[in-house]
Formats: sequence, structure tokens, C-alpha cells
Amino acid sequence: MNNSVIARAFPAFAIGFALFYAPAYSFTGGNSTFSWPLFTYFPSVGDYGEFHWLLVPGSDTLGPPMWWYGWIASATLVGLAFAIIAMLLPSKAVERILATLVWIVPILAFAFLANWERAWFNI
Amino acid sequence: MATFLLILHGICALLLIGAVSHQALGVFWPRRPGQTDFVANARGIRPQIYVVPIMILFVTTFVLGAAIYPVYRVYVRPPLEDLRVLYGIGLFEIKENFAAIVLASLPAYWYFWKRTSDYPTTRAALTAIVFVTVWYNFIAGHILNNLRGFG
Repeated sequence: MNNSVIARAFPAFAIGFALFYAPAYSFTGGNSTFSWPLFTYFPSVGDYGEFHWLLVPGSDTLGPPMWWYGWIASATLVGLAFAIIAMLLPSKAVERILATLVWIVPILAFAFLANWERAWFNI
Repeated sequence: MATFLLILHGICALLLIGAVSHQALGVFWPRRPGQTDFVANARGIRPQIYVVPIMILFVTTFVLGAAIYPVYRVYVRPPLEDLRVLYGIGLFEIKENFAAIVLASLPAYWYFWKRTSDYPTTRAALTAIVFVTVWYNFIAGHILNNLRGFG
């Protein structure tokens, strides 16, 4: 890949990933209507755990669910989609915008997530 | 096995802390000509040579952390919930989220350090994001291990 393509694809991937990951973490629950994680992992089932496609809530038989791997997988797909779209756009102007958004979006995602997680600290 | 991986995870994190700290010092507080003391020597580095080691260490630490995460979910988190030590869970939740977002930013971090001399602000900002995340995750991991380790 040449520099011009990477200059758009890599930042766009990071932006797409963060834009999906932050709400995915925040809005996933056992009763969510939209399946943010691509799959759910149940670590207490058998010797190696068990994978189920999409969002599956925990239960007495399956044990606690882990959605983190599934969020990463979903966010990776969204990031790749962003990267492909960015590669189709005109290079110079998009490159400049992405070079700014690539650090602003993760900071905003951190702030969004930190605000969401205040509940753990009773603040 | 989980304890071994946890120790390995901690050792990789320690090496990563060193690398990101050197790089951040080199970017935000570079050594001035004539300064020769210990701290100045820690600052007097070429930040770009740390990029690939930081990426390798970050990915290694991340993969090790992801591998032992199920043990945390089954054996560590439930007792913390029972004891209402919720801040410990909160610290870990922030850690996993920051780590995932920074992991996805690494290709861009590599590009802005290695393939272009444009966008110095972006380069500095990404360096700061990696630095803050690695330090936060290191401290949060230690606190959590002190609250309830695998053993």
C-alpha cells in the first residue's frame, strides 16, 4: 500500500473502531435489542468455554457472559468499513481531516466511557 | 498457568511503561544542548526508535491480558461484586476499554511516526494517548491484583 492510501485507511480504521466501541460497551446489556457484540463467550462452560454468535445474556447454565471479545470483533469490522470508505475518498483533504479526528475521536470515546463508568465509583 | 501468564503480562507491561515513558519524555520534554544529568539522559532519546518496540510490547501485553481475562471474569469479578468493591471493577472496565481503543489506533500511530513527517500535533497527541493509557492500565492492574489476585 502506498503512503496516500495508508494515510487515510489507518486513521479511518481507528476512528471507526472507537466510534463503534464506545456505544457498544455502554449500551450492551442482557436485554439489549441490538446485538453490539459479534459474539458472546461463556468462560465457565466446559474446559475451554463456549462461543455463541451475537449477544447472549448470562444464565445459570451458561454462567457469566463475556462481550469484550465480541465488541472488539464488531468494532474491527466497522473500522475496516471506515478504512475502505476512506480509501475511496479524495486523498489530500480527507487526509488532513482524518489526521485530526484520529486523536480527537479516541479522546472523546475515553471521556464518554469514563462518564458511563462513573457508576462504579458512586460519582 | 493463569498466574504465570499474569506475571508475564506484568513484565511486558513494565517494559512497555519504560518505552512509552522514554518516548513521551523525548517528545514533550526533550533534552536541551549541554544537559548531561541522569534525567536529561532519559529525555535525550530519538522518540521514533521506540515506535515498533512499543507496538510489539503493547500487542503482546494486550494478548496476554485477553488470554487471562476469562479467569478474572469467573474467579475475580464475582467476589468483588459480592463484597461490593465496585471501584475495583470500574478500574478494570476502564482499563479494558482504553486498551481496546489504543490497540485499534496503533496502525495510525505507526503511520504518523514512521511514514510521514507531517502532522506533528497528531504524532504528539497519539503519543500522549498511548502514554496515559499504558500508565493508567499499569496502575489499575496493580490495584486490582492487590484487591484480589488469581492465587
